[in-house]
Amino acid sequence: MDSAIAQKTWELENNILAVEAPNPSSDFIFYYDEVAQAMSLKAKPWGNDPHFFKRVKISALALLKMVIHARSGGTIEVMGLMQGKTGGDAIIVMDAFALPVEGTETRVNAQADAYEYMVDYSQTNKQAGRLENVVGWYHSHPGYGCWLSGIDVSTQMLNQQFQEPFLAVVIDPTRTVSAGKVDIGAFRTYPEGYKPTDDPISEYQTIPLNKIEDFGVHCKQYYALNITYFKSSLDCHLLDLLWNKYWVNTLSSSPLLGNGDYVAGQLSDLGISFLCT
Amino acid sequence: MEIKRMASSSSSGLTFKLHPLVIVNISDHYTRVKSQLNPPPLTSTSATVNGVENQQQAPRVYGCVIGVQRGRTVEIFNSFELLYDPSTHSLDRPFLKKKQELYKKVFPHFYILGWYSTGSDAQESDMHIHRALMDINESPLYVLLNPAINPTQKDLPVTIYESELHVIDGIPQLIFVRSSYTIETVEAERISVDHVAHLKPSDGGSAATQLAAHLTGIHSAIKMLNSRIRVLHHYLVGMQKGDIPCENSLLRQVSSLLRRLPAIESEKFQDDFLMEYNDTLLITYLAMFTNCSSTMNELVDKFNTAYDRHSRRGGRTAFI
Repeated sequence: MDSAIAQKTWELENNILAVEAPNPSSDFIFYYDEVAQAMSLKAKPWGNDPHFFKRVKISALALLKMVIHARSGGTIEVMGLMQGKTGGDAIIVMDAFALPVEGTETRVNAQADAYEYMVDYSQTNKQAGRLENVVGWYHSHPGYGCWLSGIDVSTQMLNQQFQEPFLAVVIDPTRTVSAGKVDIGAFRTYPEGYKPTDDPISEYQTIPLNKIEDFGVHCKQYYALNITYFKSSLDCHLLDLLWNKYWVNTLSSSPLLGNGDYVAGQLSDLGISFLCT
Repeated sequence: MEIKRMASSSSSGLTFKLHPLVIVNISDHYTRVKSQLNPPPLTSTSATVNGVENQQQAPRVYGCVIGVQRGRTVEIFNSFELLYDPSTHSLDRPFLKKKQELYKKVFPHFYILGWYSTGSDAQESDMHIHRALMDINESPLYVLLNPAINPTQKDLPVTIYESELHVIDGIPQLIFVRSSYTIETVEAERISVDHVAHLKPSDGGSAATQLAAHLTGIHSAIKMLNSRIRVLHHYLVGMQKGDIPCENSLLRQVSSLLRRLPAIESEKFQDDFLMEYNDTLLITYLAMFTNCSSTMNELVDKFNTAYDRHSRRGGRTAFI
């Protein structure tokens, strides 16, 4: 009995929200209702309210693909596109795919090659049964946190003008691996000249000194959306069974060894900021 | 009634490694196609009617698996969907070529290792598709996922088949043979799979919740290890008592397992290990120091604010 009480206390203190188990009816999110989507595209409820979209739902598959792609880039920024649909005030991301572009800090923009790739890929996908449209883009910030840089903000503002509804997602694969939790952020920019009425409280994150200027100048021009994840009942079942084989990897992973460079970099950054203050 | 010709184990000597991404990919493909075929009921009254019909429509989906083959190890990294032409009983070739090109641009190291499908067992028609793929890869793999959700199942419903030439009734024929595989992962994949599997709190969670989530993960892994060791122990005790007949091969395996502990004993390892250990302790110490000095700073500020009036009247200087 003691352990039950202890567990309840712990849950209360830590605000644990019980997640409802997926059942077959929750798989309805996978159904693409073309008519409803076309109607909502015509109505454009986001046109009047820059703060219309408040939440993002990312599917298990999309998250997995994005994180793996981001990590495979190493220290180079990579980017890709996300496919999905809208559902009320939420953008639902069903899938993601990588783009064959090399991103440098000044040039994470899709070139002509990538446009062709995008069109080809979307066409083949529609044939294969994935009917959703491109609903956003994602890119990685290896080692320096999830926020939009100046270039990102201008790219996203352009996207939001011509390709609505559009979402920007940033992933930090280095911090993901070192912290053991997925470091991801979803953002939408405000249109030019719009002043947000209330100041949203954002979670503090450490940003390296060489990037802090870029962050500070533009941080008021966009807002972060709340991210939740979903998976199908089959995914649930498979992932549960996967755990039987997975526990070995959980025990044998060591975040210290994998991220020596990153930790050393953070420490030297800290040292410099100590000297400055 | 289809005659399924399958042998029990493969003899090609290849080791297979499967990434979880492939499993999630196939599952997503199947869920998508199934939900497009069975649209959600618009009103709640028709739900019960549709519910009965929905169970029977379990479509088969087809696709391609890609990865890398290094020597005797075949590692399957990713997969993509393919179109199946029911009239010719084969996969759409131009579509396959197109997709292959696209994927080559983004993942230049991967090439086609085989194909996948869903269902409960391998069927005759599958050999047809398998043979068609042999011109891309001389020995393709066939990955089969069973999408039926069975709560009593303990094992992953994924099987990998290879094709082998066996002589049956004097006629050399290609048949499917099962192969065993292991699940392989990179760190980033493991974290995201863990994340989605247990739906851990991601953003906005305080340090305590994240630590709790991380520790829960480690705790379940240790529990698993403990239960497996218990099984082995129970088995050995039974063998000692004589309830279970002695099996020498298993005993050899257990003794080799025990002999591998402790894993490393050399002096170089001790040095490196202690160095890393000291580094980590130093960093924790530094963090503690910074915390303390910031608290001290706050205390001083508060003190100054509280006793400011006194200092002006009495001529005393501030605390620091």
